[in-house]
Amino acid sequence: MSKKAPKGEYIETDTGNKVSRRSQIIGTANIILGGKTVIQAEVIIRGDLLRTYPSSSGDGGKGGHPVAVAIGRYCFFARACDLRPPGKMYKGTFSHYPLKIADHVFIGPSSIIEAALVGSHVNIGANCIIGKFVIIKDFVRVLNGTVVPPNMVIPSFSVVAGIPGRVVGEVSEGEVDGFDLRDIYRSIGN
Amino acid sequence: MSTFMPYAYFQCPCTDSFPQSRNLGDESPVSVSSSFDQDDRTFDPRAPRANYSLYPLEHLLYCEDCHQIRCPRCVLDEIVTWYCPNCLFEVPSSTVKSEGNRCTRSCFQCPICIAPLSVSSVEPHPEGLGAENLTVGGPYVLNCAHCYWSSKEIGIQFDKPNGIFAQLAKIKNGGEPIITARERRKDREERNRDTSAGPAVDEDGVQEERAANLDPNEILDAESQFSNLKAFYQSQLAEASPTSALTFSGGDYGYGSPGALSRIMGLYTGGSFADKKSKSKKGMMREAQDALEGLQIVSPTSEDEIINRLQTEGWDSTASTVQKDEQSTYTRFINDLRPIAHLLRTKRAKRCKTCRHILSKPEPKVQTTRFRIRLVALNCIPSISINPLSPLLPGQKSAFLVTPLKPTQFLLTFTNPLFEIVKVNIATPAQTPGRFANKVTVLCPQFEIGANTDAWEEALREGSKGIEREKRRTKAEATEGQHQAEAGKVWERGRNWVSVVVEVVPASLSFEGPDFMKSEEMLRDGGALREDEDVLEIPVFVRVDWEADAAHDESGGLSGGGRGESEVREKRELAYWCVLGVGRIAQD
Ligand SMILES: [Zn+2]
Ligand SMILES: [Zn+2]
Ligand SMILES: [Zn+2]
Ligand SMILES: [Zn+2]
Repeated sequence: MSKKAPKGEYIETDTGNKVSRRSQIIGTANIILGGKTVIQAEVIIRGDLLRTYPSSSGDGGKGGHPVAVAIGRYCFFARACDLRPPGKMYKGTFSHYPLKIADHVFIGPSSIIEAALVGSHVNIGANCIIGKFVIIKDFVRVLNGTVVPPNMVIPSFSVVAGIPGRVVGEVSEGEVDGFDLRDIYRSIGN
Repeated sequence: MSTFMPYAYFQCPCTDSFPQSRNLGDESPVSVSSSFDQDDRTFDPRAPRANYSLYPLEHLLYCEDCHQIRCPRCVLDEIVTWYCPNCLFEVPSSTVKSEGNRCTRSCFQCPICIAPLSVSSVEPHPEGLGAENLTVGGPYVLNCAHCYWSSKEIGIQFDKPNGIFAQLAKIKNGGEPIITARERRKDREERNRDTSAGPAVDEDGVQEERAANLDPNEILDAESQFSNLKAFYQSQLAEASPTSALTFSGGDYGYGSPGALSRIMGLYTGGSFADKKSKSKKGMMREAQDALEGLQIVSPTSEDEIINRLQTEGWDSTASTVQKDEQSTYTRFINDLRPIAHLLRTKRAKRCKTCRHILSKPEPKVQTTRFRIRLVALNCIPSISINPLSPLLPGQKSAFLVTPLKPTQFLLTFTNPLFEIVKVNIATPAQTPGRFANKVTVLCPQFEIGANTDAWEEALREGSKGIEREKRRTKAEATEGQHQAEAGKVWERGRNWVSVVVEVVPASLSFEGPDFMKSEEMLRDGGALREDEDVLEIPVFVRVDWEADAAHDESGGLSGGGRGESEVREKRELAYWCVLGVGRIAQD
């Protein structure tokens, strides 16, 4: 956002995603990008961590490719954040499960996301750890350095902070519009 | 230190009268408002009370009837929906009244670290999390995935994976069953039946009957003792004045009425006051006599066990203050802590305290995030953003770390959210209040900001890259010619925004130097630098006026310009204090 990237920092896809050449996206066939998403340098997305436990419902594998990471529109993944599908033992075998991220999700630098679901209009600060199978609903702010414990459900309009993370406040009515990331997307040049 | 973020806080006018700030001892900053303000109205952001009236613009609402800013202190909250923040189930308010404000399903927090607990089977893998694991079969425990605490540690296991709240209510730490309030009531009813069957039963006989069920010398936990006491006094009240039995059995809410009051007075005056007929019955209330009635006798040795435990198990076995606070009853030892049922959360509507109009109203459904009404100040008064005017110099850590005594210029950008052109007047004191007086000059204190446009219009512009061109033009102007900020002129202007320059000469944070260099306040109080005293805060008085469409405002009856003249304009004015935190003063 602030630093002017050197020329050719980003590759722009057909759907308007701006992906840094210095990011590591593994298993691209299993990653869905909704479009207009910015992926900065050193970001890691682990599309290779696929679900191995047979899914009861077809689980989005329409095009033949199973989905490990699904990302909506206008997301912003800041430098060196790490998105990986959560995994657990189930009936004696270990399996990963899909990580779903909706629209207008900002993830701060060096944060690690192992959530099951991150809703729309969510702002996660720098150096956070979002534990396995966490569910974050829409309009949530996670402050810098928070460690959200595994399995936590964060309801809408929460401000979360601390180790372990807990709800420390509410997002007020006037802050709702501030979660929109379209302006930030536009400000990213090549 | 270098991570200072500039901020603009707005003062809600509900704290209109600025109380003369007094020196509240050594710890509190003093204000010398009289020294430089003509009309005694300069707002001192460092006054102890200022903290309670300053808010970021996003936290403020706006009442369109009062034409005034509204802050959390001058709105009324109204609960729309109760819900559990963990399972997201809505809880009807009647249930909240009867069952309390905690989730009664299976939502618990770790008593050690407050992370959420999940139910899992004792049997297989320790990794197991989540509902899928439950097919494995019981018994089940509550596990914390953050600190790895388990309810096994306090000897609690469950037979079923759901309805944990109800199951937990029946198990003591260690695994022994709890006699629930309901069971106690049943026992009591049985006892009553026994006594009423044979009214002249001798005391000892009754006593023996009870012992078969519950021990009258039982040591009760706080909740059982309360329920026993309550039941006992309710039965006493009913006996003492039978007419009131109906009202009192109805619940705990009957005590406020005049009738109830006279009855209560009657109880203490032997029953004659309330009801002559009840005089024949025993009018006096007796007190609780045993544990069944809620009486607990404190013996001198009752604390010996606690002292022993403290001595043998030591400090590590005691719960921290934070852990104790989360418990519903006083708990001294970690082994006595119980899983914490999730507190319910609410969705709330907000009303103006003055005129009672609704300012904000969310959709009642838990899972929707839409608002039916949302009148936020952000849409009604210009926002202010702060940027440094000069680019970062090499070696300079942050643009917001300012050098003492060196004139520094900041750019204040006002953005107009209204669909009308607004006139803005801003004023600052020449010197900021406080011990370190920074000199402040606004180069352009009066300006007009263009009207905001509709969202769709903006979207159209976006297509033609209108905004960017606009910006580039002004930038070019800036780089070409007049790079110097000029007094009386705005620095930059866009469709609905204006940037003006404010120049600050930061004070030196040094305590040395000749007296004539120091502020009056400094001479009075030469104590060491206090927390955040190095933050450069500028109080700014903002006055905004514009002409609003009067007809548009009261659109209730007239639809779509039925009167034909939309030219009924109404003057509007809004004035408020702001505080701009522009930077931190470097210490030399
Ligand atoms: Zn107020
Ligand atoms: Zn619940
Ligand atoms: Zn824990
Ligand atoms: Zn009002």
